[in-house]
Amino acid sequence: MAEVTLKNLTKRWGDFIGVDNQSLEIHDKEFLVLLGPSGCGKTTTMRMIAGLEDPTDGEIRIGDRVVNDDLPRDRDVAMVFQNYGLYPHMTIFDNIAYPLRVRGTPKNEIEPRVRKAAEQVELTEFLHRKPKALSGGQRQRVALARAIVRTPKVFLMDEPLSNLDAKLRVTMRAELKHLSRALKITTIYVTHDQIEAMTLADRVAVMKNGIIQQLGTPDEIYNDPANLFVAGFIGSPAMNLINGSVQDGHFVTTGGTKLVRVAAPDSPSVVLGVRADDMRVAEEGEGDLDVRIYAFENTGEATLLTVQWGKQRVIAKGDRHLRKDQDDIVSVSLDSDHLYLFDPETGDRIKR
Amino acid sequence: MTTSPTSDQQNSGRRSGITGKQKKRISWALQSFLILIAIIIMLTPIVWIFMAAFKTHVDVYQLKLFFTPTLENFGLVFDAPYYLGDKLLNSTIVAFVTVVFAIPIATMAAYSFSRFELRGETAMLVIILATQFVPAVVIILPFFVMFRDIGLLDTRLGLILVNLAIVMPFAIWMIKGFIDGIPMETEEAAMVDGSSRIQVIRNIVLPMAAPGLLTAGIFCFIIAWNEFLFALILTNKDAVTLPIGLALFKAEEGDLWNLLSAAGIIIMLPMFVLALIIRKYFVQGMTMGAVR
Ligand SMILES: Nc1ncnc2c1ncn2[C@@H]1O[C@H](COP(=O)(O)OP(=O)(O)O)[C@@H](O)[C@H]1O
Ligand SMILES: [Mg+2]
Repeated sequence: MAEVTLKNLTKRWGDFIGVDNQSLEIHDKEFLVLLGPSGCGKTTTMRMIAGLEDPTDGEIRIGDRVVNDDLPRDRDVAMVFQNYGLYPHMTIFDNIAYPLRVRGTPKNEIEPRVRKAAEQVELTEFLHRKPKALSGGQRQRVALARAIVRTPKVFLMDEPLSNLDAKLRVTMRAELKHLSRALKITTIYVTHDQIEAMTLADRVAVMKNGIIQQLGTPDEIYNDPANLFVAGFIGSPAMNLINGSVQDGHFVTTGGTKLVRVAAPDSPSVVLGVRADDMRVAEEGEGDLDVRIYAFENTGEATLLTVQWGKQRVIAKGDRHLRKDQDDIVSVSLDSDHLYLFDPETGDRIKR
Repeated sequence: MTTSPTSDQQNSGRRSGITGKQKKRISWALQSFLILIAIIIMLTPIVWIFMAAFKTHVDVYQLKLFFTPTLENFGLVFDAPYYLGDKLLNSTIVAFVTVVFAIPIATMAAYSFSRFELRGETAMLVIILATQFVPAVVIILPFFVMFRDIGLLDTRLGLILVNLAIVMPFAIWMIKGFIDGIPMETEEAAMVDGSSRIQVIRNIVLPMAAPGLLTAGIFCFIIAWNEFLFALILTNKDAVTLPIGLALFKAEEGDLWNLLSAAGIIIMLPMFVLALIIRKYFVQGMTMGAVR
């Protein structure tokens, strides 16, 4: 049983606010991802939970215990660092065994537990080596094994995959997901990669400038973004954001084109959000609006059409068999069930 | 254009008379020549001493390259009236004890400077460094007066204290450099894994900094071993060290170059050994760094 509760957590350095009065409840056995661009305070939040950074204000609770004044070693957490933080002078076996040894685990238990952890991350043949003699992916596994060799209350992982090459990252992501499902331990995972967040998380907390913008399941974050920032940050390609207004229940672009029906009160200035997937591409004249193709990209599994829409460019996803060329005219239609309206001033979502 | 760049080069080379290959060879010869001169300048005195140490009193004044070597000089210097053995013992004890105290103390100071935010940290570091630039002659008189008053003149303890003062700043800066090279993340990982600060230092920092500590220790030993000025002023009989002992061979009948050289070799020998060790560990210490 280990929930982690953050209450009005704040970290300031002089005038600079790293984490701004944030509250967050992480459930027992939950995999929570802190997602946000670089410098938004993810690492700082995690380091405060680990006890490596003192909060300026607020309360951290692990289980029933307020841990603000506990040393890192008394918090019963395990952490995987971005650069792994392996002990270069020890063998892999000793690296993995270190948390057990330093916590006084009986000698006869150490060997089997190290072997089991090493097996779970497929490292058994390297136990006698030093970290220097391992590849990036293998070092990453050592860091994981060192974390899972104990059964801590909470796992903390700070961008554990960011130092791996793209291909390895995808494999390790799946391994991580498999492992976390098997272990069922509360996990807080920091990343700036929205795909990692979407694929791994039970819930995602999207952060910006030290403030959590939205907390929700990957589905909620993707399909029901709370504001412009979340809408623009989640999804690849990024959600199209089109400036315009609402007149007579219709969205009208700044260029004056009356586009689609939207369920919103009239407003002189709104931002319409629409994902590339939610736009239908048809032959000229067969859709809502004819547009000229600015760039046509074939990714193999789909086609991406960047089209010129008045002064703005918008990306639509087409069928993978679609073949068009630059400067061709196509017609796009918007799906009125999957449109998002935002207030350009506050960035907040305008809900019907 | 039909000529390839290579044939072009060859043509122009033939025209000017020097090819690229020849140029390289000339510059290599020039480099070798300069290095050779440097080596000769540096090694001549040492070679001279090496030969003199094995010459008899008669041979030593002649620049003979071939002579019958003798070991008798090494016997003579340890006998009456020179008793170089006593000086050797003094030097060894003073240098050794200096290192034994300097390295642990300097390590603790260096760790604090490296890892904690101390009040006035920069000022302290600068002051520590600045002490290195105070000429020894300037402070030797106060030392003499102080030591006379508390009875530390001509004692090994006195010399050890002086040498500690000399090597500590150097040792702190050097070890701090090595500890700075240990990634913070490694220490933090150890803390989260369950170590106290002391355990982090013992299990992580010290082993990782070990080559650096060894290097610093050897440098300190060399400095203390060669220290001359303070030993000259602060000792006269009981605590005389090897470098001061050399003066014994300036006798009324002239300089006893053969004995002086034998003693010189005894001073230099440990330095050669230590230099070899340093060479190995210094590089290792420098490249230890992080493992990502
Ligand atoms: N020790 C520090 N002193 C001052 N500012 C810091 C310190 N550590 C981090 N910051 C700042 O706090 C902000 C958040 O940092 P961090 O939590 O590391 O971001 P990220 O979300 O990329 O992990 C950054 O702008 C960073 O520059
Ligand atoms: Mg970070």
